[in-house]
Amino acid sequence: MAHTRKNQSSLSRAERRRFVDAVLKLKRRGEYDEFVRMHIDYYVSDGEDRLRVAHMTPSFFPWHRRFLIEFERALQRIDSGVTVPYWDWTKDRSPAASLWGEDLMGGNGRRSDRRVTTGPFAYRNGHWVIKEGVTDGEFLTRDLGRPHDPLDLPTRRDVAWAMADPRYDVPPWDSRAPRGFRNKLEGWTSASGKERWRNHNRVHRWVGGHMLGGGSVNDPVFWLNHAFVDLLWDRWRRRHPRSAPYLPARPPGPGSSQYRRVVARHEPMPPWDVRPDDLLEHKRLYTYGS
Amino acid sequence: MAPLLNRVGPVPSRAHTAPCQEPPAPRLIDRVTRRHLLGVAASALLAAGSVFRLAQAPREASPPVALDDPPSGEPLPGAPLPGEPSFDEMYRGRRIQGESVASRDPHAPGGWSVTVDGRPLGLMRRADGGYLSTVDHFQSYATPLAAARAAVDELGPSQALSGRGH
Ligand SMILES: [Cu+2]
Repeated sequence: MAHTRKNQSSLSRAERRRFVDAVLKLKRRGEYDEFVRMHIDYYVSDGEDRLRVAHMTPSFFPWHRRFLIEFERALQRIDSGVTVPYWDWTKDRSPAASLWGEDLMGGNGRRSDRRVTTGPFAYRNGHWVIKEGVTDGEFLTRDLGRPHDPLDLPTRRDVAWAMADPRYDVPPWDSRAPRGFRNKLEGWTSASGKERWRNHNRVHRWVGGHMLGGGSVNDPVFWLNHAFVDLLWDRWRRRHPRSAPYLPARPPGPGSSQYRRVVARHEPMPPWDVRPDDLLEHKRLYTYGS
Repeated sequence: MAPLLNRVGPVPSRAHTAPCQEPPAPRLIDRVTRRHLLGVAASALLAAGSVFRLAQAPREASPPVALDDPPSGEPLPGAPLPGEPSFDEMYRGRRIQGESVASRDPHAPGGWSVTVDGRPLGLMRRADGGYLSTVDHFQSYATPLAAARAAVDELGPSQALSGRGH
């Protein structure tokens, strides 16, 4: 039976507690860190001549969809009533939002070393020790809004700009793609200054700390951001019912710079034996509520 | 740093591949296909990391190719900036060092070896020619030096690198 992913701001107190408890239990079992590792392993940048499935690539959406499904299943093995909430950052835009409350994500990092000191993922509570990081600190870090050089979360207009594009993705199918919903929502640009980050990327930048680097999954807000990104992919499909739901339809040929570097619609997407085409529909697994 | 970097079988950018005639590395797809041939259960999904620790498996099959896909004519990504100098400096109290190692280690990520206080900083090339570091995955810099300084800025005064690469 399909379950419902809710907006984090409409979770009841009990729902918040069950989600947090399940995440902590997954961490205690060592399974959470497997997700952190997997995301690090699959981060392949587009200047490298090898296959990219997770970032700077058309399969950014389906790869993370499957990654979320795996995570949610792992949580549900602990508590079958738990789903991954989503964070609509076009609405909940402030470090004072309930998202960052003591009973959900906890608050910002402190100024001196960006260490998160409140909530369930604060180091001092003993349940959240970083094991798979690119820095040596064992504590979770955040730098919400980057106060020393402030920037805002992406806006409704930023999302609308991506949503209006009728093409799923365009050559060269990487971070340079000049058009296409995928790159506009993933958020790579050739701009400089604060305009360089859009949408998904900008959220990682705004949260800062662990969310900025290779170990971004160490911050559980990773999942809430990606659930919203996944919801936006649904919205784009509804808005453009006549567009190809995924591109490229076929693998780029040997003459292309992207030969063997991106996954076409019917090619398997590592590490799973699943194709982007298999992930276009998810209504039997989950739906998004308000 | 080696184990992590080896597990994904890093492949040098084309610019680095050309002079030494390195064979193309097997694609992740192929390794996963091989995994299935080996009969690894789907429940071992999360062990994917350990799969990558295996030696690179030979390619099982050629992927389908769209014959009518036109050549893109784009410049090759990841072309090294000519003559980017090595560096060794103190920056905000941290010692940052870097040198191009593409000629002697074509598998070095980004073609460079960069350290902060002696600990390796993972660098990757972006298709626009810039460098991304493991500390900041969302902004690329024109040179390895700029990426290293930015990583120090982001680390702040009290954090060090773990030495973990990409
Ligand atoms: Cu992300």
